[in-house]
Amino acid sequence: MNAIARALAATFARIAEALVVVWLLASLVFFALRLLPGDPAALVLGDDASPVELARVRATLHLDLPLGAQYARFLRGLVTLDLGESLRRPGVSAMARVLESLGPTSALASVAVGLGAVMGIAAALLAVGPWLRPRARVWIERALVATSAMPLLAFAPVITYALAARARLVPLPGDPDAGIAGLLFASTLLSIPLAAHVGRVGRAALVDLGRAPFLVVARAKGASNLRVWLRHALPVASGPIVTVVATQLGALLGGAVVLERLFERAGLGTLILEAYASRDLPVLEGAVVAAGALFVASQAIAAALQAAIDPRVRA
Amino acid sequence: MRALPLALIAAVASIGALMLRAPERLDPVRSWCGPSASRPLGCGEGGVNLLAVVANAEVRGVVLAISVALIGFAIGTPLGAASALARGRLERFVLRACDLLQAFPTFLLALAVLSAVRAPTRFHMGAVFVLTAWAPFARLSLVQTRVLRDQAFVDAARALGAGRAMVLARHVLPNVLGVAAVQLGAEGAAVVVSEAALGFVGLGPRDGVSLGSVLDQGVAAMLRAPHVLFVGAACVFVTSAAMLLAGRAIEAKGG
Repeated sequence: MNAIARALAATFARIAEALVVVWLLASLVFFALRLLPGDPAALVLGDDASPVELARVRATLHLDLPLGAQYARFLRGLVTLDLGESLRRPGVSAMARVLESLGPTSALASVAVGLGAVMGIAAALLAVGPWLRPRARVWIERALVATSAMPLLAFAPVITYALAARARLVPLPGDPDAGIAGLLFASTLLSIPLAAHVGRVGRAALVDLGRAPFLVVARAKGASNLRVWLRHALPVASGPIVTVVATQLGALLGGAVVLERLFERAGLGTLILEAYASRDLPVLEGAVVAAGALFVASQAIAAALQAAIDPRVRA
Repeated sequence: MRALPLALIAAVASIGALMLRAPERLDPVRSWCGPSASRPLGCGEGGVNLLAVVANAEVRGVVLAISVALIGFAIGTPLGAASALARGRLERFVLRACDLLQAFPTFLLALAVLSAVRAPTRFHMGAVFVLTAWAPFARLSLVQTRVLRDQAFVDAARALGAGRAMVLARHVLPNVLGVAAVQLGAEGAAVVVSEAALGFVGLGPRDGVSLGSVLDQGVAAMLRAPHVLFVGAACVFVTSAAMLLAGRAIEAKGG
């Protein structure tokens, strides 16, 4: 009974914290757009807009209300998922555009997380386990260190050039029929830095376990090498692995924006950039808050996973 | 020795930037033309001299990265040490804030803030990066201070009547600086990459003198003029690697 109450309290604290983070990000966007020098309506219309037009845009964005009233409206809009109409596509609600773009970005990011975790864990196992010769294991470790220092921004365009423009193995950037191959290629690129981080942390955790008595017992009972490492060692090392995935989620989201731009894929990043370029304020606010919420939600999932796997974290 | 690559890049780029002053100058006849004797790195969109663009972008990017890393260091280290000395709620709050900020998509924050600026400059970018740059330094210094705060020399200083500020400045900070400085290289490299990434997606400085805009041009002209893409990618990689290496030099000295 006590344990359940504590678990509930911990969950509640986590949700409250997540809400606070989203609220802070939303407020930052709201006040940055309104308090920094420069009239938002002039930002939307450009410098040579007529006063009548400026007044019209101010009225649609409710910029003529006092700041407190604007803020209250904005917060209510966030809660009710109604931030008004998109300025550039009249008749379409800003939130509809944001929700529509969440799908492709979530697909890209979740495939990348899956691929990155699998590749990273495989590399870590190979670097520690008895399958390769010691020299090959050292090379895997070096490759992991080198890859984790490699910025996605530097290698993604080069690999894309080699595989798409030269070898024609994958769809070219901007290809509207890229479909599943395009998704897979983009998420593989996105997963490489994650895999390198997972591999490094996983290797370190597994090396620490290498001589642990419970693995000796498992071996003595006649378990195969594969069974010892996968069934007995890996679950114990999974705590640090989930943690490193969680800390890389923000970078992953940033990488997703870069890759959406590189491949001209639809998604949250593309929507944010488009709304930025056309000064579509309701869409911009909604999209940034949605991206923040996506980040916070995935962090919470990672924390829950960690607690489910590792009883030491639950306390 | 490990700081050598960064020093070399900075020196070569500064000389290049001094000799080739107008990186924005267009020369439409030479649009997308490959490397030649007068344009060793070739030309980009509208015939800009890539060597001039890269040299200038490199100088500005490295200056930005080093300043952001140093400002983050100067804010984060004392903050982390002070909150660990204060213990209790403040300490937990700072630690949790560091957790969140370190994992937070800096990129997203930058998009949010830069969208309110009519024409983003490197100054605006630096201001946004500083918002999160202090966190890793604060965390390192907080954790190190946790070890130091119960040691005999700190107790002795307290017993001799030193106030909290005195203990912090004279006894804790000198022992924390070296530990926190280890993060400088990683932070600098992260800023180089973030700056290029913002330029790549079109949020960079308007004059296009940024490694990111070079990459953006290169991707757009991938089939016609692949050299542009290679120049941009190589510069981003080499600069961030040099920053990381220079950070290792501090580590070797301080640790």
